[in-house]
Amino acid sequence: MNEFKIHHREGDGVNVMELRGYLDAHTAPDLESAFQKLLNEKKYNIIVNCKDLSYISSAGLGVFMAYIEDVRKQAGDIKLTNMTPKVYNVFDLLGFPILYEIYKDEHDAVSKFHEGKKSSTV
Amino acid sequence: MPGLSIAREAAVLVSFISLFWLYGQSRKHEKRIAPKELGRLLAWAFAVLAAVVLLSTISGITTRPAENGARESSAIVILVGTVSSISLVALASFVLLIVRELVLFKRRQGTKRSLLIYELLLASTSLSAILTLPFQQAFVGSILFTLTVLFAVVISFRQNWIVYLSRREKIYALVYSGLLFALFVLLNVVLAENTLGNKALTAFSRPLQSYVQLNAVLGAIYFGMAFVSTLFHLPTAEVYERKQSELNSLHNLSRLITQVFDFNDLVNMVTQMTMEVCGARSAWLEIIDTNEATGEMNIQVVSRKNINQEDVAAFSDAESNSMRHMLLESKAVMMVDDVWNDRRTRFLKDRGKLKGSLLSVPLVSHDKLMGVLYASKQIEYGFDQDDVEVLTTFADNVTIAIENSRLIVRSIERERLQQEMLVAQRMQQRLLPQTVPQHPSLDIAATSVSSLEVGGDYYDFVSLPNEQLGIVVGDVSGKGVSAAFYMAEVKGVFLSLSKICTTSKQLLDLANQSLMESLERKAFISLIYGVLDLKTGSLNVSRAGHCPLVFVSEDKQELIRPNGLGLGLTNRQVFSQTTEERIILLKKNDVCVFYTDGVTESQNGSQEEFGYSRLLEATRQARMDTANEIKNRILNSIHEFTGTSSYGDDMTLVVIKWLGA
Repeated sequence: MNEFKIHHREGDGVNVMELRGYLDAHTAPDLESAFQKLLNEKKYNIIVNCKDLSYISSAGLGVFMAYIEDVRKQAGDIKLTNMTPKVYNVFDLLGFPILYEIYKDEHDAVSKFHEGKKSSTV
Repeated sequence: MPGLSIAREAAVLVSFISLFWLYGQSRKHEKRIAPKELGRLLAWAFAVLAAVVLLSTISGITTRPAENGARESSAIVILVGTVSSISLVALASFVLLIVRELVLFKRRQGTKRSLLIYELLLASTSLSAILTLPFQQAFVGSILFTLTVLFAVVISFRQNWIVYLSRREKIYALVYSGLLFALFVLLNVVLAENTLGNKALTAFSRPLQSYVQLNAVLGAIYFGMAFVSTLFHLPTAEVYERKQSELNSLHNLSRLITQVFDFNDLVNMVTQMTMEVCGARSAWLEIIDTNEATGEMNIQVVSRKNINQEDVAAFSDAESNSMRHMLLESKAVMMVDDVWNDRRTRFLKDRGKLKGSLLSVPLVSHDKLMGVLYASKQIEYGFDQDDVEVLTTFADNVTIAIENSRLIVRSIERERLQQEMLVAQRMQQRLLPQTVPQHPSLDIAATSVSSLEVGGDYYDFVSLPNEQLGIVVGDVSGKGVSAAFYMAEVKGVFLSLSKICTTSKQLLDLANQSLMESLERKAFISLIYGVLDLKTGSLNVSRAGHCPLVFVSEDKQELIRPNGLGLGLTNRQVFSQTTEERIILLKKNDVCVFYTDGVTESQNGSQEEFGYSRLLEATRQARMDTANEIKNRILNSIHEFTGTSSYGDDMTLVVIKWLGA
């Protein structure tokens, strides 16, 4: 059985979910409930760190699709970071880089969130 | 003369012992009910005694006046003596057998030994009667006789069989043992020294006389004791009987409930039986469903008997139900002797409901409280410790039965789902093309395998106007029944749009638009679509987030990967801006492979993926073969790589070989 784990961190007004292992049709509901929990807590600045994500299936991609609209409606975003080339390829084939902000490093995503906040307050 | 007499005695003894043994063997295999046996023994004893007395009287009358016909009368006396002797010996043996069986009922350590000693003493005493010297006989005989009677008293204390009789049976046993006692005392009198019966028996065989006499004593002692014993047991008979019937019904009920699988039938039966098992006036059953995630409890009364909704609700729905709190806490049996005055249930008095006594038994499965069984009686102090025990045992069986019925429901549900999956699978199989298109300038081979009953892969061909052929390969996100439905939808969209669209990009734009509206938010479809002009070999390809097209020509092999987004991901504008189309002009023996990610994502033991380069290489190697052989070459190459003959994912391959216009 391939395991899937989510580690949640919070800081600087940004919520980071570190994904680890296999994200497929069996484990997608775990990620779904994690997103749902953040949304229930009205946390909309979300970074998904894919450093240790070894596989993602179409069902896994679907989870991001399910929540992106709600998050953006609340002026938040889901940004993806630290993908391995293999995982990036899956996202890329489907055209996700056009729909999502994908960064090499988590810091870039964090500073992007902060930039956005500044520009909106100015 | 003495030798002859001893031989005669021996012959008589041997024949009687053999008969006794044979009869004993025949009784061994039968299960007998004590009072009935006592009745039979009584009838026998009565008949034998009456016969002996009657016969001796008759022979006494007939012999007296005919003193001169002494021979004739002595023959009658001998006949009468023999008949009464045989019946007396038979009676004695019968007594011994019955007493034996009663003594050995529920044997304890030493029971068998006492019995054996008694039997040995009985045999020795009887045989000692053969000793001819009167002095020896009197001395040895009287010692042995005393010992035998002593052991008869010892074994007469074994009266366990009485305990297990029902009240009715005990009354019979009382009457029978009383009468038997009287008859055997009488028999002892008849066998006293100078009676005619005794004389006849002594004349017949002295050991047997002794044997009969000893058994008559045994009978008198044993049945005397039995009479007294039964008399003492009579008052407790009712309690014992009740307990017995409770145990019986418990056993039957427990067996019965494991045979009922319908949940409603089961819970109704449970409450009904609860009343029967402990003689309660009413009973009800609460089932507790605990939500694993939130720990929230849902308590529901699923069955009630002989109690109205209001009364149960008064208890069940009470907010400050302290009994419930304690139950949930302790998961233990609770007995409330006086509902209105008990601290735990006093709240019921204010509502004027549920007077009397109440017993609640938890149904605990795997350390989890799954329900509570309640029994109530109208009177205070209505339940005793026995009720608690019986109901606890019953509750254990109820728990198992309820678990069973739930498991069965679940397995029926699973069966139903499997059936539905089969339907979906058949439906899906029909959505895929059954044959490949035939054209002189084209060689096509296609295959699609599914790892589950219902997969998400789709491929199709459509003949277009102006001698064009549409080729599509797609992958619906998700699996199972929903994937089959989406696939049907994609097929509908594809077939209708392909007739009106002239380019592949145009079709994808329109398909995205129409699927955006109907797809679930988290569902999307990746697809690659090619329009091949059969006159010129020009292939117009667009890709909606799907795997790139494999293109192998004489001098090059490449992945054709025009930009594009998956269908159903985003709105018309973004989709249309992003999605491109490519045009390839096919030359003779050029090969194109359309496929799904199951091909490139096939993994070997060390989690490596088959990937694009192996796919390109396999295609290149087989380029000059037929499309079907190219397809097989790719499949073989995947098998060699993964090391298994099965597929981990859905996998679709469509191989197109251009043979020249």
